[in-house]
Amino acid sequence: MNAAMKITALLVLKAAPETTDPVILANASDVSHFGYFQRSSVKEFVVFVGRTVASRTPPSQRQSVQHEEYKVHAYNRNGLCAVGFMDDHYPVRSAFSLLNQVIDEYQKSFGETWRSAKEDSAQPWPYLADALTKFQDPAEADKLLKIQRELDETKIIIHKTIDSVLARGEKLDSLVEKSSDLSMASQMFYKQAKKTNSCCTIL
Amino acid sequence: MQARHGQSSYRDRTDEFFGVVESRRRSIAPAAENNVPHGGGGGRREDPRSAAANQSEFSKRASLIGLAIHQTSQKLSKLAQLAKRSSVFDDPTREIQELTVVIKQEISGLNGALLDLQAVRNSHNDESNISRDTTTHSATVVDDLKNRLMDTTKEFKDVLTLRTENMKIQEDRMKKFSKISSKESANPFVRQRPLASKPSPSQPAPLPWANGSSSSSSQIVPSRQGEAESSPLLQQSQQQQQHMVPLQDTYMQSRAEALHNVESTIHELGNIFTQLATMVSQQGEIAIRIDQNMEDTLANVEGAQSQLARYLNSISSNRWLMIKIFFVLIAFLMVFLFFVA
Repeated sequence: MNAAMKITALLVLKAAPETTDPVILANASDVSHFGYFQRSSVKEFVVFVGRTVASRTPPSQRQSVQHEEYKVHAYNRNGLCAVGFMDDHYPVRSAFSLLNQVIDEYQKSFGETWRSAKEDSAQPWPYLADALTKFQDPAEADKLLKIQRELDETKIIIHKTIDSVLARGEKLDSLVEKSSDLSMASQMFYKQAKKTNSCCTIL
Repeated sequence: MQARHGQSSYRDRTDEFFGVVESRRRSIAPAAENNVPHGGGGGRREDPRSAAANQSEFSKRASLIGLAIHQTSQKLSKLAQLAKRSSVFDDPTREIQELTVVIKQEISGLNGALLDLQAVRNSHNDESNISRDTTTHSATVVDDLKNRLMDTTKEFKDVLTLRTENMKIQEDRMKKFSKISSKESANPFVRQRPLASKPSPSQPAPLPWANGSSSSSSQIVPSRQGEAESSPLLQQSQQQQQHMVPLQDTYMQSRAEALHNVESTIHELGNIFTQLATMVSQQGEIAIRIDQNMEDTLANVEGAQSQLARYLNSISSNRWLMIKIFFVLIAFLMVFLFFVA
């Protein structure tokens, strides 16, 4: 569809009140498109910017910040904050619905244990990594986008159908003309035959 | 006094002249202490002079009030000009509001001064024996000032209504221009909310209008956040709220827009399906006509075939007859040849 829309990283943080730094609870990043030597620095950058943005997002608020060539979207819900690093093409709405899903999933799987976390958790969360790969295509995250896309495809198919129906109409019109000509001709034929038959007395 | 003027050609007005001189001399001195309307209690013996002083005092105050009214009406005309300037970008809201406040204060001050003046006049009427003409004159003056003040107040009200209308027009225009990024429409609400929340009793007509619209937009925001989160939302500082609300609205509005798009697409698809059904039914009719034509043709051709078959039969049967006739003819020819030869 459009130019490639990428998610670079997804983070889940515990956003403490303004004074302390947010604590990272889960981290998944896709740095495959950076060179090998840049990968660690990119990861650091992701961690740092994620912490800053999460600390600045008030609870129950959504926020989008433009940082260099990334858009960082953050959603804070009652202290649990999800941060996503997307490029500029990624639609904002899908980003936020993705963050919603991530937070819901996290709360489902970890319950309230995250509230006691004091330092960055090092264990990876497989769901986040899966989400990162799955949601590279924003249609997956955003049902609305998916529906809209399918509707557009259906519309194209419908238009093609209408075109074929119009062509069929044209062919039927030509057929009806030909059949009426044929019926005229056969009628003449019958009359001629009858005429020939009537006057055969001599010879 | 004017009647007496008309009756005689000359008049000894020396007394009057002296009275005027005295009153002039006195009006400079007691002007400071005559501010209290009941200050004529100790000056009974100086009645004529105090009456004159009071009269001049009255006229001075009347002239002051008139001057103030004039200044107020000038400011009002400036305000009217500012309010009429209805451009989208150069909005002199602040000046207009300041001017409105100032004018309102002046009008209320003038009202008070006018009431004082009237009280003064009444007290003077009661205390000193002023002539009937002076009474009517002062009454006329007071009435005139009151009328002028009323006119000014009316003009003020008109200007305020004009201002509200212009603001509404600007609102509509801003909404029209920024229809895509409908965040714009949230901003005037957001901007006016701090105005509404400040303790400003001097804010006239624009306030209730702004209050109504801001309350409707504040209802939209909590409804999204859900039950438990609406209370911490309300407890936030208003500054943050103002910054966040446009973003929330943007998110919500983008979702609403997407839903609208989906709905309209589905609607269009329904339309297209209906058209498709119509076209196909029409073509069905055409197909039926073709079918009938073919059946007619078939019937004709079969009839023609039977005719030809009969003809063939008759032709072939005729041949036998022809041979027989031929033989008969040849027989007759033979007979004729035999007879001749």
